[in-house]
Amino acid sequence: MQSTSIIMRKRITVLFFFAAFLLFILVSRLAYIQFVQGDQLRQDALENRTRDIPVEAKRGSIFDRKGNELVTSVSVDSVFAIPSQVTKPDEAAAKIAVVLDLDVDKVHKQITQKQSFVWIKRKVDYQQAQELKALKLEGIGFVEESKRYYLKGDLAAHVLGFVGVDNQGLTGIENTFENDLSGTAGRIVVERDAAGREISNAVHNYFPPVQGHNLVLTIDETVQYFVERELDKLIDKFQPKGAVVTVMDPRTGEILAMGNRPTFDPNHWSAAPQSTWDRNVAIWYNYEPGSTFKIIILSAALEEMTVNKNDRFYDPGYVKVADRNIRCWKAGGHGSQSFEEVIQNSCNPGFIKIGLNVGIPDFYKYVRGFGFGTPTGVILPGEAQGITIPEKKATTLNLATMSIGQSIAVTPLQLLTAVSASINGGLLMEPMLVKAVTDADGKVVHEYQPKSVRRVVSEETSREVASLLEGVVLYGSGRNAYVDGYRVGGKTGTAQVVGSSGGYVSGRYVSSFIGFAPVEDPQVAILVTVIEPQGGVYFGSQVAAPTFRAVMQDTLQYLGVPEQKDLPKPKNLNFWENTREPEEVRVPQVVNVPVNQAVQDLRGIGLNFMIRGEGPVVYGQIPEAGATVLEGTTVILELKTGPEEESAAQVTVPDLAGLTIKQVGGLLENMGLRLEPVGTGFASRQKPGPGEKVDRGAFVRVEFEPTAERQGPTD
Amino acid sequence: MISGHRLLRNLDYTLILVAMMIIALGLVTVSSASTTTGTGQGVFLTRIVGKQLISIALGTVVIVFIMFLRYEDFSRYRRILYGLNIAILLTVLLSGHEALGAQRWIDIAGFRFQPSEPAKLIMIITLADFLTCREGNLARFRDLLPVFAYVSVPMLLILIQPDLGTSLVFFAITFGMLYVAGAKPLLLGGLAGGVFGGVVIWIWGHLQHGIWITLKDYQISRLTIFLNPWADWAGAGYQMIQSQIAIGAGGLWGRGLYSGSQNQLNFLPEQHTDFIFSVFAEELGFIGVVLLLALYFILLYRGLRIAGQARDLFGTLLATGIVSMLFFQLLTNIGMTAGIMPVTGIPLPLFSYGGTSMLTTLAAIGILLNIWLRRQKIIF
Repeated sequence: MQSTSIIMRKRITVLFFFAAFLLFILVSRLAYIQFVQGDQLRQDALENRTRDIPVEAKRGSIFDRKGNELVTSVSVDSVFAIPSQVTKPDEAAAKIAVVLDLDVDKVHKQITQKQSFVWIKRKVDYQQAQELKALKLEGIGFVEESKRYYLKGDLAAHVLGFVGVDNQGLTGIENTFENDLSGTAGRIVVERDAAGREISNAVHNYFPPVQGHNLVLTIDETVQYFVERELDKLIDKFQPKGAVVTVMDPRTGEILAMGNRPTFDPNHWSAAPQSTWDRNVAIWYNYEPGSTFKIIILSAALEEMTVNKNDRFYDPGYVKVADRNIRCWKAGGHGSQSFEEVIQNSCNPGFIKIGLNVGIPDFYKYVRGFGFGTPTGVILPGEAQGITIPEKKATTLNLATMSIGQSIAVTPLQLLTAVSASINGGLLMEPMLVKAVTDADGKVVHEYQPKSVRRVVSEETSREVASLLEGVVLYGSGRNAYVDGYRVGGKTGTAQVVGSSGGYVSGRYVSSFIGFAPVEDPQVAILVTVIEPQGGVYFGSQVAAPTFRAVMQDTLQYLGVPEQKDLPKPKNLNFWENTREPEEVRVPQVVNVPVNQAVQDLRGIGLNFMIRGEGPVVYGQIPEAGATVLEGTTVILELKTGPEEESAAQVTVPDLAGLTIKQVGGLLENMGLRLEPVGTGFASRQKPGPGEKVDRGAFVRVEFEPTAERQGPTD
Repeated sequence: MISGHRLLRNLDYTLILVAMMIIALGLVTVSSASTTTGTGQGVFLTRIVGKQLISIALGTVVIVFIMFLRYEDFSRYRRILYGLNIAILLTVLLSGHEALGAQRWIDIAGFRFQPSEPAKLIMIITLADFLTCREGNLARFRDLLPVFAYVSVPMLLILIQPDLGTSLVFFAITFGMLYVAGAKPLLLGGLAGGVFGGVVIWIWGHLQHGIWITLKDYQISRLTIFLNPWADWAGAGYQMIQSQIAIGAGGLWGRGLYSGSQNQLNFLPEQHTDFIFSVFAEELGFIGVVLLLALYFILLYRGLRIAGQARDLFGTLLATGIVSMLFFQLLTNIGMTAGIMPVTGIPLPLFSYGGTSMLTTLAAIGILLNIWLRRQKIIF
């Protein structure tokens, strides 16, 4: 036999190297897959087989200062579908829709989506979840989530805020303390095989959720309840556009209660209009504080010693500042008064004098010192900072009006914090809402301490201010705030609402009362602010003081503040109310009377007017002559072209002082006169003056001033 | 007859050892592929492993049996073998079991039998004889025509089962043996290139212009999907993608035996047969891959060494055909799992689960051992 030839051996060798070369290519390819693409492919393999099921963390509870639970979280089921595992979508959709009260087509669409996971309904009722679980539908699963419950309904709704569907805090404390409350979500990593089945004996990685921390508020549920109750009464009686009551411990700045109207139930927040739930009036609303702000000027004057307590003040009913007359709220003025009487009477000319003596630089020192123009730092979202005229631009006239709480806008909380500082010994405190953050076992994680921002006035001044304000309650405009058995100090305030155009709006007021007790050692400070009360009553003493008194009385007793005997009582408790209650007046007969005469007649007895139509003569009036109405009621005057129009060549110029530009324009036009306006706001000066006779078609030059002379009272 | 003493002295122990190691690795991998618990702990002796062990035992008996034959005698039965081959393949076509859209199996004595596997070996024997008779007469193209005609009968019978993969193995065996038998390399290369180009153009023409083709649509998509498996990721490309994910997930050290998620969680299709290598690569990593390929490389080397030292041309061609068969299967199987070859359904020799394949491969190893045993020309 012949052995294999040389050529054959050579070819076998070639074949060997050829095969070795191909093997090398193969190894290279495998190395490329395992090393270069490895990470990505490992990721792909992981995604192939794992699926995360989220486990929501239980959100922390919120307690009041006494440990009463206000907000809690309860476990509920959420229903999801894994569309690839739903075997009978038609049948499943029909059953789910019935149990969960959903639209069949919508459910069907959801469970047939090309997605690995889809929520059908979050946080379903316990009963529904049980029914659905009993059906044992394939591809339909349940995850335990927590649902927020506001146990006390609308109690302190604006403080607490509320959460959205993913339990994220949207407003209030829920929002600012989101990080503390929310905790950390957990997840279950489930391995699944190629068919999407859970592997029954596979190792499931369970990352348990970490429960959120609890909050302990400074809010006292009981005090908050008093506030809510009195707010309801207030709303019932005056139907205001809004109202806010805030109760603070002036020593620490702790907010014991904060209630707003209108309000909402955080459990069903979406049922309320957005304007109700998205703003907390106590921290968001900028308004002119009116007379309540006089406490600030008083503190400044006493601290700077620019006022002598033995001075006497004479109030002729107005005060002339920089060529303008600023009237006192009391027609005819208060006459000669002592310093205490100026405060008790809330006399505008008196306070303007005090303010002017303080001077612009020192005045601003205290405005800033008391925290106006800056947020108070309360831990709530959406705090406003108030509006102050910049010091450099402030005029003497501005100083005068600011001294009586006009030309400056503050928030209710700013005012309460500032007044607390003026009577607590002189320290401005940062308002506190949260006492502590605790963990699930109740262990304190973080404790908040009262924080003093700065000393504003001396203790001596503070004591003096407190005692002077007690005089207001005992002898002055604050008598309705008197609480039997306690020494109470306070101040009323009534200011007109600043309209969108910048001028004051007639008939729209913000009534307020701010006060504290006991005077010798203030433990409770309360501000009641009522926005645009209806029904013709608008003085702070009538609208806000009774609410203050009720809340103060209950709170003092609840806190166990000892009553004192033989305290001085206000004389003539109802005096103030009697004199200031709007009087009933008889509507005069003004039909066929020249329009300027008709307006003079109405204003003379305290009625408002509104003109409809054109012409120099009143054609009709509503209400009719002889009707009995309250002071301040608006009488509608209907005008028409009368016979006088052609004949009379001359007309008498009416007194325009205090009218708005619109009122002036309408009045003059109907009399055949033309307006030459200067400035905006309220008529302060006119030329020709009232009573002068001019030719028809003549111009009347009227100067308007936003903050000058006004009819509106600031009691 | 060879005495027992001499037989034991002249066995290629390296070849035996390498084959045993490959088989052992294969068994463990098949075990992992057939226990899909996902717990990282598998039972070694699964039902599938048991059946595989039986096949290995039967294969060992076959090897021992082959040892007592003279491979030179095989050429005497060439006509019978060739006829038997065609008869069995015809039987498959007429009465075989249909699985996965093809008729490939027949039952013999209770065992499911895949005749295309031994058909490869029978063809190697008959072709080796055919070429030995034409030694020195293979230079011209027309000299090759009878060879192709001889091969094409069983090959076409397999192609129409349809079993494209095995017919491609026939093709590779034929070219390997022709090369060693002395056919001109340029002629062979031209022919191979021509056939390859022709098939590509044919398929392209079919896909683009709808030209008639013998292949079924699923076969075409399996042949072409490796170019871009993502084009049909949920269909034809699925196996390919999952296989590459498995190999890639293995990394350097692998994810550990019984711990490959791609395998254990059944993301890998055909994981104990065609795609067994992916399981191996996922669980034992690049280190395991290099080890396994090194073992195959040694097997290859020993096979070609036997071809080179065979006592006659028949032995050389026989060994060449066997090595060509084993290597081509190795290349296409692993290439397929690595995404550089079409999906053809060729098992990995000595490794994949499959009784017929294991028996055939062991018989082939037996023939190699036999050739080595009788390499010396001295006859006593």
